[in-house]
Amino acid sequence: MSAGKIILIVLGALAAVLLVVVLWVVGIFNNLVTLQQGTDAAWAQVQNVYQRRTDLVPNLVNTVAGAANFEKSTLTEVVNARASVGQVKLTAGGAPTDAAQFAAFEKAQGQLGSALSRLLVVSERYPDLKATAGFRDLQVQLEGTENRIAVERGRFNEAVQGYNVAIKRFPAVIFAGMFGHSARPYFAAVAGSEKPPVVNFDFSKKSP
Amino acid sequence: MNRSLRVSRPLRVHSPGSTQNPHGFPFIPALRALALLCALLFLPARAAENLPPKPDRYFNDYTGTVRAPTARAFNEQLADHERATSNQILVVIFPHLPADAALEDFAVRTFHAWAVGQKGRNNGAVLFIFKDDHKLYLQVGYGLEGVLPDALAKRIIENEITPNFRRNNFEGGIGAGITAILAAARGEYKGTGRTVADRRRGQDSPLVFFIVAGVMLVIFIIAGRRARSGTVYSRSGRAYANPLPMPWFGGGGFGGGSSSGGSSDSGSSYSGGGGDSGGGGAGGSW
Repeated sequence: MSAGKIILIVLGALAAVLLVVVLWVVGIFNNLVTLQQGTDAAWAQVQNVYQRRTDLVPNLVNTVAGAANFEKSTLTEVVNARASVGQVKLTAGGAPTDAAQFAAFEKAQGQLGSALSRLLVVSERYPDLKATAGFRDLQVQLEGTENRIAVERGRFNEAVQGYNVAIKRFPAVIFAGMFGHSARPYFAAVAGSEKPPVVNFDFSKKSP
Repeated sequence: MNRSLRVSRPLRVHSPGSTQNPHGFPFIPALRALALLCALLFLPARAAENLPPKPDRYFNDYTGTVRAPTARAFNEQLADHERATSNQILVVIFPHLPADAALEDFAVRTFHAWAVGQKGRNNGAVLFIFKDDHKLYLQVGYGLEGVLPDALAKRIIENEITPNFRRNNFEGGIGAGITAILAAARGEYKGTGRTVADRRRGQDSPLVFFIVAGVMLVIFIIAGRRARSGTVYSRSGRAYANPLPMPWFGGGGFGGGSSSGGSSDSGSSYSGGGGDSGGGGAGGSW
């Protein structure tokens, strides 16, 4: 057997190994891209439902403000919370990668959520307002929106967890950084946050 | 809790005993990662554990409230609605919510697990009724939110369903509710004239078909040999021109009837189309 032949065999084997490695890395890469796109899609849904809530606020405020001497402080709180939601700037396109930005978003939305639930609690003291069909529809829409927010938050968290696990798992962890993948923040599971805020009808208790 | 248990147990076992590996550090991160992975992997599975299995009917009464002929009529009404519009609308009566389950959460998770509505259209809706809890929830899929917005869902519940339920007229309430839901949902999508279950009946059985065909082939060969040797069949070779019994191929007699548990006598069966809901709909109580 000549030296040339041996070199050829060795080169061939190396090429085969290289090909396998390349295909393997391509597989990992594609899997990570799919998962990343999944988190982006889930995030789009999250923003969608939060936007739906933000869009409801002007209607709700107008309807409630029409009621005779409605408590002004509660209304102002809602209006301010909505304004601060609008001020949170998120990088466009895809789920946020910056934990601080994400926390700011979550905090602003949380404030709007609690301001709105307080508004609903307070509105219970205005029977005339409650009797109007417009207000009842808005109340149902708001409840439905809170429900949707809970659902989409949960699905977003599931998507991000799947992605975060995938990029930390061996062997993807070797390439994940190279391909620009990094762990993404997700919603903190505050106790009870997975459920829509409860509208408290008992006035002897303080509102949540 | 789980995670710390999983990590600490191997540590206690390995670190005093294993002299070959005194540092033990390749073990600990790997185990920790494994435990974390397990915890993450099993989280969704554990959450889904409490959900009821997929129903095989459009109208499912697990409480025996609705009389059988009425239940059958409701079931056919809903099945026909899918044939006409492709919307999958289900009614389920449970005795009560599982302990520690929240109404909205249970409804949306169950809807997701049952994949109600067509894939891509997400045009499903499920009316969940919890009889002993006096609660109900109309869960609407993404694709029907336009024609069945939350406010309308609430109005159907409050105007059509719960007034009847309060008078213990469950059949009347459900009937009025179904009528109102179908009226709202009609017109959004066009159906194909067949339900998912109808289609599956013709399509779903390739595996069954191959197994059956294989068994038949074996029988045929054996029978053929015996016949050739003249021990079993005394008929002429003409009989082999049509050796396979035709019912296997003829329509849905086999695929539907026997595989889904002898359901043909009690009407149309339901099969999820792959739809999903994002939490639309409304609930109520009576």
